Amino acid sequence: MNTRASLAALAVAAAVVASAAAADDATVKKDLTAVIALQGLPCGQVTEVRTLGDNDYIASCQDGNRYHVFVNAQGRVVAQKQ
Amino acid sequence: MNFSEGNRAIVAALLAALLAAGCAGVKQSATPSAPAAAPAATAPPPQAAASPPSSDQAAAKPAAKTAAPEAKAPAKPGVAPPPPSAKAVPAPAAKAAAPPLDLKALETELKETKAIGVMTKLSLKNQVDDLLSQFRAFYQGKLKTTLAELRRPFDLLVLKLLSLLQDSDPTLAAAIAASREAIWGILSDRTRFASLDGG
Repeated sequence: MNTRASLAALAVAAAVVASAAAADDATVKKDLTAVIALQGLPCGQVTEVRTLGDNDYIASCQDGNRYHVFVNAQGRVVAQKQ
Repeated sequence: MNFSEGNRAIVAALLAALLAAGCAGVKQSATPSAPAAAPAATAPPPQAAASPPSSDQAAAKPAAKTAAPEAKAPAKPGVAPPPPSAKAVPAPAAKAAAPPLDLKALETELKETKAIGVMTKLSLKNQVDDLLSQFRAFYQGKLKTTLAELRRPFDLLVLKLLSLLQDSDPTLAAAIAASREAIWGILSDRTRFASLDGG
């Protein structure tokens, strides 16, 4: 009985964590989509993001383009085509 | 309300909020410094119709031809049409002669809005800085352009902001749209810009 309850709690917790992670991922994709569009670069939607560090990402776009998006030493957001 | 001070406060609030929001929590990448890939929209406009900046010109009605009547219909001009199901920006009830803004609330909302991500806020801040640099250079006589030409990047920047906000934070988008002419009024006036720039 206790084991079943524990498993259920664990499953709920995992679902919550997974859901939060998915929301974070969607937020970053939306953020990077906006950044790339603001730079006037072709992309469409960002479909995949790889995090390299703080504010440092590789963004893969719907149209096949890939960009390295990061904040440079001057504090500017840069989107470099890969 | 003192109109001049009110306008100044609006611009200051908007810029400060963008600056603060852009800088909040942003750490520079470990990636070695690289040149900006695309200065894109805020690139200096073509310098064909050069004219010396003068306070007379600055005081002239800057948006006589190019100004849009955005005060009545925020977020409409030039912005991609919102998806059918998306919340549309509510049309302001009043005809909005002067923006009836609670400036403190506007500043707070810009800082805290979830409609724009941190990187986007920082990117917008970069573009605001670029635009202010253009105005500074123009008033110093270093940039040969006209106020009418400077109006274009200004409008573009406001439209970018509105398009980012209109679906997720329509109230804030409407407030910014209503402040547009007031902000332009500051930027296009040498004296008022100088007081903004200096303080």
